[in-house]
Amino acid sequence: MLRKIINEIYNIPKLFYVLAIITVFGLSVGVYRLYMGLGATTNLNKAFPWGLWISFDLAMVALSAGAYTLAALVYIFHFEDLHAATRPTVLAGFLGYSSVLLILFFDLGRWDHFYNVFFHPNFSSALLEVSWCIAAYSLILLYEFSPAALEKTRWNWLLPAIKKYTVPIVIAGVTLSTMHQSSLGTLYVIMSPRLHALWYSMLLPVFFLVSSYASGLSLVIAGSTISYWLFRRSLKTKTIGKLAWFLPWILSFYLVLKFGELLITGEVNLLFTSGFYSFLFWLEIIIGAVIPSLMFAFKQIRFSRVTSMIGAFLVMGGAVLNRFDVTWFAIKPVLEQTYTPHWMEIALLVGISSGVVVVYSLIARYFPVYEETIAYDISTKPLRTSNKPAEVSASGD
Amino acid sequence: MSDHSNNPSYGFLIDASLCIDCRSCMVACSVENNVPNDSTRIWIKDTGITGKFPNLKRYTAPYHCMHCKDPSCVSACTVGALQRNEDGIITYDKDLCIGCRYCMYACPFEVPNYQWDKRFPLVIKCDMCLERLEEGQQPACAATCPTGAIKFGKYEDMLVKAHQLINDNPHKYVPHVYGEQENGGTATLYISPVSFEELDFPIAGTTSPAYSNRLVTEGTPTVAGVMLVGLTGIYLTIKHVIEESEQEKIELKNNNSQTAEEKE
Repeated sequence: MLRKIINEIYNIPKLFYVLAIITVFGLSVGVYRLYMGLGATTNLNKAFPWGLWISFDLAMVALSAGAYTLAALVYIFHFEDLHAATRPTVLAGFLGYSSVLLILFFDLGRWDHFYNVFFHPNFSSALLEVSWCIAAYSLILLYEFSPAALEKTRWNWLLPAIKKYTVPIVIAGVTLSTMHQSSLGTLYVIMSPRLHALWYSMLLPVFFLVSSYASGLSLVIAGSTISYWLFRRSLKTKTIGKLAWFLPWILSFYLVLKFGELLITGEVNLLFTSGFYSFLFWLEIIIGAVIPSLMFAFKQIRFSRVTSMIGAFLVMGGAVLNRFDVTWFAIKPVLEQTYTPHWMEIALLVGISSGVVVVYSLIARYFPVYEETIAYDISTKPLRTSNKPAEVSASGD
Repeated sequence: MSDHSNNPSYGFLIDASLCIDCRSCMVACSVENNVPNDSTRIWIKDTGITGKFPNLKRYTAPYHCMHCKDPSCVSACTVGALQRNEDGIITYDKDLCIGCRYCMYACPFEVPNYQWDKRFPLVIKCDMCLERLEEGQQPACAATCPTGAIKFGKYEDMLVKAHQLINDNPHKYVPHVYGEQENGGTATLYISPVSFEELDFPIAGTTSPAYSNRLVTEGTPTVAGVMLVGLTGIYLTIKHVIEESEQEKIELKNNNSQTAEEKE
């Protein structure tokens, strides 16, 4: 047994150990932050009480939307072709949400009082809704992933019972996700004096919800190509093409909403007169919505692994940029204070992200995550160059 | 949730024309509330030096929590640590606060401050010196102010006084009581010889952002309910359609095989 374990340890690629060391370092910085307080370890200030961590959380939640979009398509809309992608996506979603919860904990000034979130709720607070939904939804993701975790253990007698309740649980999960994806936008509805008018809108919750569908689907598309390179297991290109078909529709709807809102509120002139803000807005819209919706309108692009992955990355990039704009770049500075993150803020983020990659890879190695996906025989398919596996999967998680 | 329309019992009336920037209110506040002088609950807003030499001018005004009638911070607070009490004072419960700092972003007046250097930091915000009020005393800043720039009393009296001062001295004050309409009305009222934009005061609308926030958050349970029912409906409908079409296929097959048998 011991020899077996030692053998395993030798067999694990060295990169894992590098990532594990980064994780440990990041987490120790986190513990140092809990001990020293926020002033010594972050550059947060009165004008910017939220910083890089919150931006990262919002971006991560937008990307993890893959799990609920896919679950809805497979279980509620009976899109059976996609079933094979659920396990990897649900696992990625679960780890994404766990990292969000962890970072939120490190972000709390009174982390010693965190339990008050559950015992003293204020139901008019959007942040309460977000934290409750994220916590509950993480449990649901754990439930959705549990068949893969239990399948090869002595607990597998639980499987029929778990499968029996999957559909109601998925429905609850999709509802919770819709709630918190949109509530993340609601967070900023109260901040009308601070958020730049190009981004501020009463419709922020709807913008966030619609863009989360797009970035969630894109995560599934990109993730399937990455797992094709890494593990030779993937969805059929036909299925990817079907998924990608939704994207131009969602993105065009998003564009109509965004520009329609600016038209109605009479803020169109800001598109050209706000200097750097205008540039950021156009950047996010062109990268994340205009280019990919044009791309995915072509059948050849939808049905090719590489091009659909590039398009998917553009959508995700746009969503991430949008979340960073709303939470950071488009917040008007007051009191002549600006914000650039402290190195410790970055270290904690990098640490937790690499932790996500390590845990994901270990679980994918020892549990049947990819077994339902279609395996591709390496010898029959032309090998694409793939010297950058782990880095790629980092962005895919 | 408190009643959003009731007027506060107490109010401040701060007169920018009387403030001489001596900062004794800040000292009094930091002593009373035991906070360091660089993070008091009150600070000074100023116009900077204006006018042309030799007619240089500089106006200042002490600035602290406005105690809104419909406070955004109370609406935003995750755990209800910030509350509006029956006197219209926004109070802070340090044992409930989890330090999410959402109130700092939500406040349209940029009021809540934070103890960044503490291991277990708290939000720093004026509570009208609640303990002094209970003993029948004025808040520390109002009691200390040597020029009477900070007046404190019944809210209605303060409002009447503000208008009276403006009406009696139309050349001295701009005709605007800051806080009467701002953010849906606040317990702290200002009058000033220069416009409030010049004094670097935030330009607040007449309705509190808390209102738009409530519009969205209070609709949430309904949306959730509709979604649960809708998704279940979609699931069952699609399932039914699939099963029916499969049934038809089977029947069609059976029929075909039957006709085939009959032919034989």
